[in-house]
Amino acid sequence: MRILVAVKRVPFTGGKMVLAADSRSLETRHLGFTISPHEECGVEEAVRLIEASGGESVVLTLGPPEAIEQLRDAMALGVDRAIHLQTDGAEWDPEATAGALLDAIRADEETYGPFDLIFFGNESADSGGYQVGLRVARALGRPAVTGLKGVKVEGASVRCEQEADGGRDVYVVPMPAVLTVKEGLNLPRYPSVPGRMRAGRKPVATSSPLRPESRLQLVDLVVPGGPGRQTKLLGSGPSAAPAVVVMLRDIGLV
Amino acid sequence: MNPIAAAAFGVVLALAIVLFARRVLFLYRLIRMGKPVARFDDLPRRAQAEAVVVVGQSKLLQRLGPGLMHAAIFWGFIILFPTIFIAMIGVVDEHATLPWLGRQGWYALLVDIFAFLVLAGVIAAFVIRKVQRPRRFAGSHVREADAILLLIAGIVISLFVWHASRIALGLNEYPAGWAPISSLLAQAVPQPWAPYLERGAIWAHVLIILSFLVYLPYSKHLHIFLAAVNVFFGRTRRRGRLEPINLEAPEDEVRYGAATAADLTWKQMVDTMSCTECGRCQDVCPAFNTGKELSPKLLIMALRDQLLSEASTPLVPNAVTDNVVWDCVTCGACQQECPVGIEHIDHIIDLRRNLVMVESRFPAEAAPVLRDIDRASNPWGKPQADRAHWADGLGVHVLQTGEEPPDVLFWVGCAPAYDERARKGAISTAKLLKEAGVDFAILGPRESCTGDPARRIGDEYTFQQQAKQNVGTLNASGVKKIVTTCPHCFNTLSNEYPDFGGRYEVVHHAAFLAELMREGKIKPLAADTAITYHDSCYLARYNDVIAEPRALVAAAGRPVEMARSGKRTFCCGAGGARMWMEESRGRAINQERVREAAATGAQTLAVACPFCTVMLDDGVRETGAKLKVVDLATLLSEAVERRKAWDARASGPDE
Amino acid sequence: MEDGEASLQTLTLARTWGGPLHAVHADAVEPFAPDAIAAILQRSADDLDVSAVFAAGTDRGNDIMARLAARAGLPFASNCIAATPGDVVGVVRSRWGGSLLETAALHSPRPVITVAPYTFRVTEGPAPIEVDVKRFIDELDPRDLTVRVSEHVGPPTGGVSLAEAKVVVSGGRGVGSKEGFAIIEELAGLLGGAVGCSRVVTSAGWRPHSDQVGQTGTKIAPELYIACGISGATQHMAGCRAAKRILAINSDPEAPIMTNADYAVVGDLKEIVPAISAELRAARAAHAPLPGPLPEGERGQ
Repeated sequence: MRILVAVKRVPFTGGKMVLAADSRSLETRHLGFTISPHEECGVEEAVRLIEASGGESVVLTLGPPEAIEQLRDAMALGVDRAIHLQTDGAEWDPEATAGALLDAIRADEETYGPFDLIFFGNESADSGGYQVGLRVARALGRPAVTGLKGVKVEGASVRCEQEADGGRDVYVVPMPAVLTVKEGLNLPRYPSVPGRMRAGRKPVATSSPLRPESRLQLVDLVVPGGPGRQTKLLGSGPSAAPAVVVMLRDIGLV
Repeated sequence: MNPIAAAAFGVVLALAIVLFARRVLFLYRLIRMGKPVARFDDLPRRAQAEAVVVVGQSKLLQRLGPGLMHAAIFWGFIILFPTIFIAMIGVVDEHATLPWLGRQGWYALLVDIFAFLVLAGVIAAFVIRKVQRPRRFAGSHVREADAILLLIAGIVISLFVWHASRIALGLNEYPAGWAPISSLLAQAVPQPWAPYLERGAIWAHVLIILSFLVYLPYSKHLHIFLAAVNVFFGRTRRRGRLEPINLEAPEDEVRYGAATAADLTWKQMVDTMSCTECGRCQDVCPAFNTGKELSPKLLIMALRDQLLSEASTPLVPNAVTDNVVWDCVTCGACQQECPVGIEHIDHIIDLRRNLVMVESRFPAEAAPVLRDIDRASNPWGKPQADRAHWADGLGVHVLQTGEEPPDVLFWVGCAPAYDERARKGAISTAKLLKEAGVDFAILGPRESCTGDPARRIGDEYTFQQQAKQNVGTLNASGVKKIVTTCPHCFNTLSNEYPDFGGRYEVVHHAAFLAELMREGKIKPLAADTAITYHDSCYLARYNDVIAEPRALVAAAGRPVEMARSGKRTFCCGAGGARMWMEESRGRAINQERVREAAATGAQTLAVACPFCTVMLDDGVRETGAKLKVVDLATLLSEAVERRKAWDARASGPDE
Repeated sequence: MEDGEASLQTLTLARTWGGPLHAVHADAVEPFAPDAIAAILQRSADDLDVSAVFAAGTDRGNDIMARLAARAGLPFASNCIAATPGDVVGVVRSRWGGSLLETAALHSPRPVITVAPYTFRVTEGPAPIEVDVKRFIDELDPRDLTVRVSEHVGPPTGGVSLAEAKVVVSGGRGVGSKEGFAIIEELAGLLGGAVGCSRVVTSAGWRPHSDQVGQTGTKIAPELYIACGISGATQHMAGCRAAKRILAINSDPEAPIMTNADYAVVGDLKEIVPAISAELRAARAAHAPLPGPLPEGERGQ
């Protein structure tokens, strides 16, 4: 089997959003970075599928030079090699991103053959465009299923489960296919150190695509302000329980 | 000289030597294959350890009764050692003895006294084992121990009978008066039996000794030889330092802890072979004593059995279960008690290292901790940018890049930044430092987790990343002296960071504040509340910081000691990264400790560690104990305020 | 258009653009086939020469609209909380699940926009004109039916659905263990609600991912969200900020959630949550035979 996973380097934020001076990006001085959460499950799924059936897995990213860390992280879990489309750190909009990824995928498939499955995250944690995977799938002319919490290869098809209406919708599509996945698909393994060491030696193909004109241009970022909620302290410790019940009554839940 | 006797003895001796040598060679070959570890430095302190622990029997004498019993047997063996040769000469030639020594009266006296002490020791040992029946022997091979004791008894009894019958026959080479007990016994020897008794006793004596010699390397009594060796090669200083792994080495040369017995270092192998199954470690282990699976004694015994059987299957789960590996709080009480210098913590950590770094097999709740340390630089996964918020409004300076370093860097640690209970100690410390006019600063967001939780879970990789990052920051800042409120940070910064190029003078806040108090820069007034102080394992046991915290307690109130204090403190339960894991089996360690504290009658439980603060506070809530858990710095701060109020009243309206 | 609140909110925004409104339903093709709906939408848009296409930013909505944008070669602005018409459309988009906002300029001959759920107050207005999609369905390319729901697997029996519940009682790191969630389940049961949790809890293996509330879990909008021992990281708030009311129970008065909540109780959740449950039982016993909690699934207005 040949599987590709597309990942994005995103900050690991915590309590609040702090903007950089130019208000066009987050202040990253004290932030760590990670593969976007949905995609981590994609990486794990790809590794599991190759472990089960043999073949090759590839991880692909469009990102700054530092994104090599995320590629090494993916390879530490077991992905065989990486493709790094290096940017200068400026943001690419989803259309442009999809275009660059598409070119890289086509180039790789020309040399090594088609990917049976291509995994994307349903949406990236930061910009949340919800579209890169679907654009790539359309351009490749392959079936795409989104938001998956269950993936099972059955012969030449893949059975996909998507959460909907309190249960799950099942789609069965033929491979080659494009799948966008959500966290909860699996529990990603903790990388072994030998795996990390080997990842440092696995091949990474680097190139620097040109950024096209953007049709969805970022103007600036704003931390949502407003009055927020006015917090009413109901009390401390278990003695606050009566006050809580009074509140529940007042809002009609009891 | 009797040629037949000589020949017979020669055969027996040769046989004994061959059997003994084969086993010793086997053990030696195993140890030679053990992985390397550097223990050849600091010879003066090693020699000192030998003198104090081995010859002086210091660890054993911590328990007086069994200590004296063993000391009697041990010193007896040393004194009686030459008698082996006297006996061997005597068995072939009843008229010969060891030149010079065999004729010394004073030596005969010593032999008599110590042979008697050995016998008394053996009897005492039997009384302890059979009448008193301490729990620490649960799981030990009791019959093997009994057999050894009987053999020892046989050796000294046959020695007495031999000496007695020789005196009765007038064959003694030394003045009989010098051997009072043997002389006394000689009077009970019936003359016609004397020659047979003399020959019988000497053959019995020599045969028992040779059997004992052959039995030694097949039994736990191997400790006779190895204990001295093991103690010599133990850690002499920086006891809280774990051996780093060279992760940069070529892939097949990196030792990721221990997966099989062949992965053990030679020191660890000697550890397992030195074990006497005494169970002192088990007796003080917080996990064992709260119903967990871990027993340090059974752990070492299991590793030994796997090693000696040359099994190549993984140690976990074949010799040791996963639960045993994870139950440990790395408090070090076991190796503190061990009379033969076994370093149990090394074994547990090496087992963890392999499970975590190679197999990724560890309790699920530890994974987010490791990921958070990696990505967010703290085990809470909270924003680094918020790290200095605890100090808002206190006027604490955050050291910027490129600034001149302060006299002292206050290394706060993650806990006060992200846990509201741990915050108070840091706040009080900052206030006191300011009050005393200390030139200090904090690193704020540039401080990241020392990596201690990662290292203790066994993730040496993440630990080294953190260590290198922090050493880089500290070295670039030019900081020379560091004060910290957390014993785990203290231990890591002080003992472990030198391996990564970080050499600083590191002081725990209790010691620093005590010093300021001595210099008169902090003036406290004690209240009449009873305060009991809980020694942190990483402070007291690993790093000998015991007296200074007590100076602070005395300055704040009326100190009351718990039974398990100082080096024999009982862990709060957070060590070994267990702070981050659930305690799902047995009783809660923290509650156990809280009950002990409450039993002293104190109203305040003083602590010197943010983890102890949280664990013991939880324990107080869970048990409903009438105790307030307060950090030493806060107690001191309150005492300072009390003094100010007192002074203000004293110089009051009358002025 | 889909059934539900989110589409009504979308209509509210769409109406502000003026001009006639037409609607295509997501269930025009049954079983659901996203490419087919996108195809129908594209043909309808071309046929009517619309100036923009809107949908709710639900999973399904984003799915369909992204496919539409891909096949039509148009840019797509997802999860907008504002969109102003013009030659260049000014949008405000939701990032990080709503914790950050992006102002952007959308250059497109036909703006394709989804509206972030729970960000608009629904206002009444004329209903959109239903597009007659029959001929588009008849002319569907069979390839657009490759991706199609083949079956629906029902939810696990029992329990209240997290996404639909009126009340959600949620536990975080402070709960301490898997077993610790018993008190959370108890309170949720008494209130007829669902149990939720934070990401730390799922990573530690204490609760299944389906219970996770957050940016990468389930985003909910209950009447009341009770957060116990949850510090309130942005990725978690992204999942619960749409709740009508939030009650935070935490031992740390300075935890971020304490200022993002409507009500707060400071202290140890292990004592407080059982106390609330006990108080509830006592109150009910005292006022028997008052009916129990309102049935779940009903969204009070």
